[in-house]
Amino acid sequence: MQRRTLLRGLAAAGLLGALPLSSTLSFAAGNPRSVKQLPKLEGDLTLYLGRGEGGLYENVLDAIKDRNPGLNLQIRRGGTAALANTIVAEAKAGVRRADLFWAVDTGSVGMVTDQGLAKTLPEDIITQLKPGFQYPRFSPVTGRIRTLPYNTERVSPAQIPDSIMALADSDLAIGWAPAYASFQSFVTAMRILEGEKATRDWLRGVERNAKKYAGELGVVMGVERGEVDIGFANHYYTLRLKAGKPDANVDLAFTNNDAGCLVNASGIMALEDGDLPVNFIRYLLTEEVQSYLASEAYEIPLVNNVAMPQGLPNLDTVTPPDLDLRKLADLRPTLNMMRDIGVL
Amino acid sequence: MATVSKHARIVALLAALSAPLFSHVALANGEITDQVNHLSDHIDEYNEEVHWLQEKFGGVVDAYEEKGKGKVDTHQLIEFWEEVNFHSAIETQYVPIYASIWQGIYGVKQAIDEGADVAKVRSEEARLQQALWQALGAVKLAAQYQQRGLVEKIQTTQSEPTSGPDVIDDIKQRLHRVVAKYAEQLHEVATTLVHETYMQRFEGIEGALIEQDAALVESLEKDFNVTLPQAIDKDAGVDSVRDVVETMQKKLDKARGLLVEAEENRKSVF
Repeated sequence: MQRRTLLRGLAAAGLLGALPLSSTLSFAAGNPRSVKQLPKLEGDLTLYLGRGEGGLYENVLDAIKDRNPGLNLQIRRGGTAALANTIVAEAKAGVRRADLFWAVDTGSVGMVTDQGLAKTLPEDIITQLKPGFQYPRFSPVTGRIRTLPYNTERVSPAQIPDSIMALADSDLAIGWAPAYASFQSFVTAMRILEGEKATRDWLRGVERNAKKYAGELGVVMGVERGEVDIGFANHYYTLRLKAGKPDANVDLAFTNNDAGCLVNASGIMALEDGDLPVNFIRYLLTEEVQSYLASEAYEIPLVNNVAMPQGLPNLDTVTPPDLDLRKLADLRPTLNMMRDIGVL
Repeated sequence: MATVSKHARIVALLAALSAPLFSHVALANGEITDQVNHLSDHIDEYNEEVHWLQEKFGGVVDAYEEKGKGKVDTHQLIEFWEEVNFHSAIETQYVPIYASIWQGIYGVKQAIDEGADVAKVRSEEARLQQALWQALGAVKLAAQYQQRGLVEKIQTTQSEPTSGPDVIDDIKQRLHRVVAKYAEQLHEVATTLVHETYMQRFEGIEGALIEQDAALVESLEKDFNVTLPQAIDKDAGVDSVRDVVETMQKKLDKARGLLVEAEENRKSVF
């Protein structure tokens, strides 16, 4: 399996050429800020928060509120895509209720930024982020990488192709969750990177040997039980399973520079001008919050020089593809394709 | 119906009434008005309605006894039930008994439609009447709790649970509603509710839970995705679906304890 380092890969895969600020940001680094360096948050703020992570984002928000008694934070919770649609609909109706939108996936971010509703972020926010995750109108918060969890009793690493496209031609028994949002984003990435025909062929090829699961934790557990040889899932499910079951028969493999190792991210954007929304975003990018989400939710910190989650194997040997994550908002053709083929 | 001791039922009822009760707005069969937040003002009305229902249901069975199969419009049973305000009172306060009422209504309806012996129909009717009186008792108890400020107001807008234990509570309420919808013969609605509960709720906490007890998550995964949908799909009967749900509730109670403990041991953000 040909592998390169993640950081080198991120630099190589960086979106810098596509971004207005890229020319000045290529090697932005430095230590992450501590919350102690940030100003107090005071005033009214309304956050639209996409559902996810079973309370850990809530812990972060509670901690920010505790630290800032002058902050009146109102939170509207819901499905990320539904909230994105709400923001767009509210804007069309001439009202704006949200000051901030924290989405669990970048596709929904794209729905809002494409409408011109997000404010440009200050350069100091953008430069804190790793190359490849610097965007002018939204800030990625933490990431998750697509992986191939495999059963260590049934498959050796050498049997696993380093190309996601090659898996369609393999005889490995595959677990997948086509109804799952992260899987659909991954197929969208493939469609953008490889084209419609190649993606259709890939879906048909994989379907030959695929067992369907409702969610991606189910995929990982199916792999571990040996129901299938290998699966498609975000990295954290395997890490969390191994945290609860250290002798689990599952490990992670990564493909090389394709949709199979896509790094997707949660992201936050300011929908109103002013210091308060922007300073709130700065809190999410502090070393404390980034480290917390890495250690507790196994998410990948996207601020420079924050430690990766423990137990993420071989992450320094992975190369994500070159893809503007906002393009993942173009989900409809993916769903149509999946329905047309009959996998959804 | 699974046999549960009277004491256990009362304990379960009190626990349910003292917990946040109902966070869903989307209810079938009529509008939920703010009346459900002022139960004590309407107890007399509910009492009258239960007597009225008893009479109406009994009347249908009497007519069947007199005229025989094919001569009675059994859809009336559903119409009577949907007509009363008591319907929303119990639906918002204690879904498990609400499910038992639907089970009882369809028990009588199907027995009549199939031309069963009158004794069999009377037995189903007795079961239905028992569920109605249980429901009235539950609503009276809820009214007392409401007056003492011990139960939360029924939400008029949908709210999202924010912590892992809150999500578990919400899942348990939703599973009660699965039984209710199944008992109401809305099998597709019940199946969709199972799927949504898994995708929108359980999926959000299973990552944290699997760190605590992987086998428990595996078991609940199977319940959500195989056992419960299959019980509904095979039309295994309300008692069978309820049994699956009650087994899941016990596992969820264990999951809740694990999540509370994990949260207590979790490091602070700052």
